[in-house]
Amino acid sequence: MAKEIGKDRLGDFYKDGGKVRKRREWRGVEDTLYDYSRWLVIMATLGKFMMKPRNVKAFFRYRWMANYLAVPMMVDRHTQGLRGEYLRICHTEQDLVIDDVAKLLDNLFRGDRRTGNDTEFSKKVVLVDENEMTAVMMGFPTLKCLSRETPSTYVSVLLNQHAAEHYIDVAQEFGLAGDVCPMPEAEAGVSIDDDAPILGACAIQCNTTCDGSLLGNGVISRRLEGEDGIPVFQLAAPLRHREDDVQEYAAQEIRNAIAFIEKHTGEKWDWKEYFECAKRVNYATKCRQEWLEMNRTPYPQVFGSNLALYTETNYMAICGRLAAFEKADRKITRLAHQAYEKKKRAAKEYRHRAIIWGVQSHYYMDFLVWLLNCWGIVPLTDMLSMVSTRELAETDTPENRETAIYDMAWLTENMIMRNRTHGGYKVLLDELWEFTQQFNADMVILWEHMSCKALTGMHGMFEDRARELGIHLVWVSHDLFDPRIISRQGVRDQINNYMRTVMREEPIDPSLEVLHDEESW
Amino acid sequence: MNQVMKFILKLLFRLLLILLGFFVVTFTVYLFNLDMKLTAAIEPWLLKHYDRIERDAHL
Repeated sequence: MAKEIGKDRLGDFYKDGGKVRKRREWRGVEDTLYDYSRWLVIMATLGKFMMKPRNVKAFFRYRWMANYLAVPMMVDRHTQGLRGEYLRICHTEQDLVIDDVAKLLDNLFRGDRRTGNDTEFSKKVVLVDENEMTAVMMGFPTLKCLSRETPSTYVSVLLNQHAAEHYIDVAQEFGLAGDVCPMPEAEAGVSIDDDAPILGACAIQCNTTCDGSLLGNGVISRRLEGEDGIPVFQLAAPLRHREDDVQEYAAQEIRNAIAFIEKHTGEKWDWKEYFECAKRVNYATKCRQEWLEMNRTPYPQVFGSNLALYTETNYMAICGRLAAFEKADRKITRLAHQAYEKKKRAAKEYRHRAIIWGVQSHYYMDFLVWLLNCWGIVPLTDMLSMVSTRELAETDTPENRETAIYDMAWLTENMIMRNRTHGGYKVLLDELWEFTQQFNADMVILWEHMSCKALTGMHGMFEDRARELGIHLVWVSHDLFDPRIISRQGVRDQINNYMRTVMREEPIDPSLEVLHDEESW
Repeated sequence: MNQVMKFILKLLFRLLLILLGFFVVTFTVYLFNLDMKLTAAIEPWLLKHYDRIERDAHL
């Protein structure tokens, strides 16, 4: 029960084998009342959502909706130990993301043939993948760009670590391989299990990151096109995205995707709207670069979950289409500067400066907060936040309209994750070591997603280079969506072992070293 | 005039009491995580309900 950062033993809030924690943190009067007020806002968002009969109907129809019972707990996990500006940055982001997901669900169920069945609305819906840049939707302000996979699998696992297990099992019961990435496998499982809302004039799928996602898309599009009568466009962005000779092909894919959407929705591409969105993308990039610039100093401000989760949403899913995110960018930047000027720190002790690389575990997204609170390891930035910083053309001229096509192609190629896991040796390996120097990091935490073939092939090369540079390289194996393979404690143990045996250190907060949270959401 | 003032003050007092009651109840729920404890108890029933729904599961 302390106002000061680091006074509480955060592990004591966990109940052995429990689903939820014993109580919420007391953070001093001001911060507790602030956190309480944000909790009220979240409860109001959830309450408003459940006021609509179609949403109640959907809640009892779709299994993955049960995970949304855990929304407040997800926020609590990411705000663990935070005070002052850090707490406010986290809430600014999380509350906006929650509001955005609530609107996404509301729209999905409005058009869904099983629940809302608003056919006129459904004709204005374009379905997109969860793991897909929404750049091709920047010039369609009258259309709704909705992802079914985002709420059914991606967000669900952030809410409840066990959310995807049922769907992974369903996919494997129907003969899909057990060693592919559990993310696309779970997405395919939702479709196989007849648990996806049915709506939309058409859908755009993308060859996002890997063989697994192609497999998942194949299963999903078969049902969409063959049974639901929803035409699907396959946006095949080049994987070698740094090569000049693939850019014309990538641009043509964008032109084709836009023409496909126009054909199936009857809407026309709006250049004025596109350039407005491009301005917002540029603003988000400028803010992100400012935050990263601060993270190179001894006083990083927007880092860990605060950087990772927000960047994923803002960069990929929003892509300049919503003004609310620009407002949030401004507020976060203001709070970050405020804390930076006062030389504030988010935890009582900073021992190591780390770059987090590889594909992070979704069932343990708050691992970054744990690293900071338990061992004083500051997660300065992560692979999924090191995305494109290219400035987009933002003035409407004939030349810029052509440039814009290439900009959209570039964004699509540089979607989160695929911009590092594909594109060659330089983007995955070489640039990591450049970042360790730029950020003055002494440690690399390397997520090893065991079902991701894109990264495992380079295991030895990472080790060789870390040894040459004298950087502490800590491997953390996980299975992305499936905590039955490696549990959250299994993830923590890999860090605990390294810190005790190699670094010979004691934890800052020993209560966090071992947590019996296997049953927890 | 006094009657009106009395009525307004009474109304304000009641409003204050309602707000205070709202704060005490919701803050207790918030601090002791009662909202999550309740939803955690509901979840197993919901999962059983989902298991009973007939689905056209196929590739």
